[in-house]
Amino acid sequence: MRYQNATAYRFLAPYLLIFSIFWLWPIIDSFLISFQATRTVPWRFAPTFNWGRLIGDPAFFNALKNTLLILVIQVPVMISLAIVMAVLLNSPLLKARGLFRFAFFAPVVVGEVAYSAVFRLMFNLDYGIINKLLNSIGLPSVDWFTNVTPAMAVIMMAVTWRWAGYNAIILLAGLQSIPEDVYEAATLDRVSKVKQFFYITLPLLKPIIVFCAVLSIIGTMQLFTEPFLITERGGPGGGTETLGLLLYRQGFRSLNFGYASAVAYTMAGLAIAISLVQIWLTREPK
Amino acid sequence: MAAVTLKNVIKRFGVFEIVHGANIDIDDGEFVVFVGPSGCGKSTLLRMIAGLEDISDGEIAIGGKVVNDVEAADRGIAMVFQSYALYPHMTVEQNLSFGLRMTGNPKADTERRVKRASEILRIAELMKRRPRQLSGGQRQRVAIGRAIVREPQVFLFDEPLSNLDAELRVQMRVEISRLHKELGVTMVYVTHDQTEAMTLADRIVVLNAGNIEQIGAPLDLYDDPANRFVAGFVGSPKMNFLAAKMVGADNGAAVVELVNHRGARLRKPLSDALPAIGGDVVLGVRPEHFFDAGQGDCDLTLKADVAEHLGSVSYVYANSGTGGGGEELIIEREASRHRANGDDLVVSIKADRSLLFDATGARIR
Repeated sequence: MRYQNATAYRFLAPYLLIFSIFWLWPIIDSFLISFQATRTVPWRFAPTFNWGRLIGDPAFFNALKNTLLILVIQVPVMISLAIVMAVLLNSPLLKARGLFRFAFFAPVVVGEVAYSAVFRLMFNLDYGIINKLLNSIGLPSVDWFTNVTPAMAVIMMAVTWRWAGYNAIILLAGLQSIPEDVYEAATLDRVSKVKQFFYITLPLLKPIIVFCAVLSIIGTMQLFTEPFLITERGGPGGGTETLGLLLYRQGFRSLNFGYASAVAYTMAGLAIAISLVQIWLTREPK
Repeated sequence: MAAVTLKNVIKRFGVFEIVHGANIDIDDGEFVVFVGPSGCGKSTLLRMIAGLEDISDGEIAIGGKVVNDVEAADRGIAMVFQSYALYPHMTVEQNLSFGLRMTGNPKADTERRVKRASEILRIAELMKRRPRQLSGGQRQRVAIGRAIVREPQVFLFDEPLSNLDAELRVQMRVEISRLHKELGVTMVYVTHDQTEAMTLADRIVVLNAGNIEQIGAPLDLYDDPANRFVAGFVGSPKMNFLAAKMVGADNGAAVVELVNHRGARLRKPLSDALPAIGGDVVLGVRPEHFFDAGQGDCDLTLKADVAEHLGSVSYVYANSGTGGGGEELIIEREASRHRANGDDLVVSIKADRSLLFDATGARIR
């Protein structure tokens, strides 16, 4: 038995080696780095240097506030939209279902830089189609990128556009796993379609909704591309700077790896904590 | 309670016609079973009565009222599904009361109905459990309970016992029979199991490939089937069919010779017109209608291949042809422990205990 185990581990060794070097060690090392002052040569162990700074850093709290704001507004909106899209995709009345399924999923495969450029153009003050549409219904143009609130709105819209369809496809799989005869039984029970949605579909879809929400929470905690490319590095004036962007700024602009590691661990910790609370709040009664 | 009438009901899916003009009159309080092989259209017919499938043509009436354009929910029916179709996230109590709660039925009345259903089905102790915490039989009771609380005019059952094991199936069969007696409500029941049909039904509707082959009381179908399909489908073990030729007519009786038993002839008096001399016919004999040698009208020598001993009776599987090329026959014998090892078995058949069919399968009486 012991010989068999040893053989198995010899076969696993190449993978375990790569895993240890490129996954496990960076995870451990970045945690250790977060306890070091990395702007001195050589680096020195200073447990409170980065973590102490984090607690009192207005830039960190600004990024945290922005990230949580996006999380609180964008994630529920996107999940709700994804549920509506999934229900529509699941409708027997829908023709060309395959086409719509692809269309909803397509934003995920579009290059991040390309879609960010399109969003910048769409929301351009003078030439953007969004302002043209607003003007056409008698509303004034909005300067989307120089004011914090509209800039934040653009980020949320962009993220929603990119990921709502992806979540809708996951939710669609969940919808399709609900047996049709449960709805037929409800129909014979004289339960209206709207009540069927709220009392049957949503409760039965709950595990999938929680799964999508957890994925979205993790994604939002790491949000980087949109504020980097669409609102130009978290502009205006750090108004859309997220934790992901702060991490980048500290790690790669200021080369302050210790502080960036502390931010990274805070992001991961928050994502885990919020996801656990979410799972706990929506757990199945025994 | 209500009668159900189907007049020339047709169902098409695209260009395919699945049900070809069904005419059925179900009396108030009657227990009618639709039986037939898979794909014969029996479930489609039931779903059309329920209103879960549109009908392509014809008319369905419940309680004398045509319901073609009436929503499923307003037809006064309740249905028990093969998969139970319980709401998995609700307790038994919530499952039973869900429909009534959603439609604003008074709380006291809902509680009364749920309590009554739980007492009838003896599921009172399960009320706080969820479907996943129940056995198959318990789930089926809850599904029936959900139908009972609706106090429908007609109960529809779509193969409700097919997911249960053999022992539980027998138990639930008796329960459903008891329930019908207790409630006295019209029940329409779909199954592919002819034993269920025989034991439960006041009348059986035998379906085959979208056609109604015969409607009648269980023993009427057994004793007097309209055609070879019904004769073969009703009864377990199934009827034996022996290829025969019409070789002569004798005073209103047909004289037939069995193809695989040279010289074995049977004189069968008929009231219908006799088939043409030389024409192919089929002789149907139920397993229990083989007698000891010399006790019937015609003896057959068979090769007994296998014997099944069930305790009360034994079934012998025998080949009717010389050299093993004939029909496989099932013969019921008195209980024994005799093992069949290809030994000869001589049995006898009687003209009045056999049925004659023409080459198309139609019965010649």
